[in-house]
Amino acid sequence: MQVRSDLAIAQQRAWAAIGEPGTWWSGADRVAIVAETRHAATCALCAARRQAISYASVGGEHQVLGVLAPVAVEAVHRIRTDAGRLGESWYRRLLAQGLSEEQYIELLSVVAMVVAVDTFRHAAGLEPWPLPAAVAGEPTRVRPQGAGPGPGWTCALAPEDRTDADPDLYRDNPGPRERYGANIHRALSLVPRSMIHWWDMLECMYQSSAQMRDFGREYRAVTHPQIEMLAARVAALNQCHY
Amino acid sequence: MLRASGQATDRQFSLSGVLADAATTGVDAAAELIAFADAAIAADPAALDHARTRVVSVLGEAAMIDAAAVIAGFNGITRIADATGIPLEPQKAEQTADFRAELNLDRLRTGG
Repeated sequence: MQVRSDLAIAQQRAWAAIGEPGTWWSGADRVAIVAETRHAATCALCAARRQAISYASVGGEHQVLGVLAPVAVEAVHRIRTDAGRLGESWYRRLLAQGLSEEQYIELLSVVAMVVAVDTFRHAAGLEPWPLPAAVAGEPTRVRPQGAGPGPGWTCALAPEDRTDADPDLYRDNPGPRERYGANIHRALSLVPRSMIHWWDMLECMYQSSAQMRDFGREYRAVTHPQIEMLAARVAALNQCHY
Repeated sequence: MLRASGQATDRQFSLSGVLADAATTGVDAAAELIAFADAAIAADPAALDHARTRVVSVLGEAAMIDAAAVIAGFNGITRIADATGIPLEPQKAEQTADFRAELNLDRLRTGG
């Protein structure tokens, strides 16, 4: 089976980069997030909560691999198994339990990448990849100076708030990607490397903003209407409000 | 964007069909693609094998790969949207108010 070369390269790069030290988590931590994301799919507590009208009505303990702190496990498992019912109060509880806002955003980006890569390989009939190799090193722990309240629960680096010390996430960095600053672009911007990491992969799986709006040309083997129908269907299946 | 695709190509696509009846969407090979998406998200191996074969048969292997990539990418990005609580931009909300009401989509923000 032939996977489009740019898509294969983008996913391979993204997968390898997960194992590198991030901004707020080490490479080993990030690989542990990958493993826990996969493990969450078989967690009995998550399965029971998913069936319940209210997740809070079902008590118990997550089935865990035992590497990550409980607060990180809770974040990984809920995002992986029940994201459509997440709320700000749940998020605030994670912060109160010691997870930082920046750690949460980076964790979220890793979970989303694992979900995307694993779903792709499963859908296409390909074997799942082994865990990325963890690379030694320390997280950089740099928060954008211009970060402020974001469009959702978390802080973000808005295009208009960027300082000279901050990367240009929306137009120029690292090339003319024209991420025009929609709320979905801003969602991961508190951790610029995570935002770039995610969007560089996603734009090869879906389309760039420019390609999405260029109805005069097809960039994929499925058409614009077919792509958007699939996107809408998946959003509905996942109960995604946005 | 499905609506915009229709306007750009002078075709009419049914957004409600995306959730209800694939045959009414007006999109080519909608039934095969929606069955593929459903099976992939449900992680149902038997249904997925069948759906994948149908998409390859109707649209070809390259289309199956690209469809799988879109499905998978949106399975990831919906988590980013939901886990950060980002709202729909006012302009988009206005443009989509009719079908959001038709499909009762605004009931979906229920988290705690």
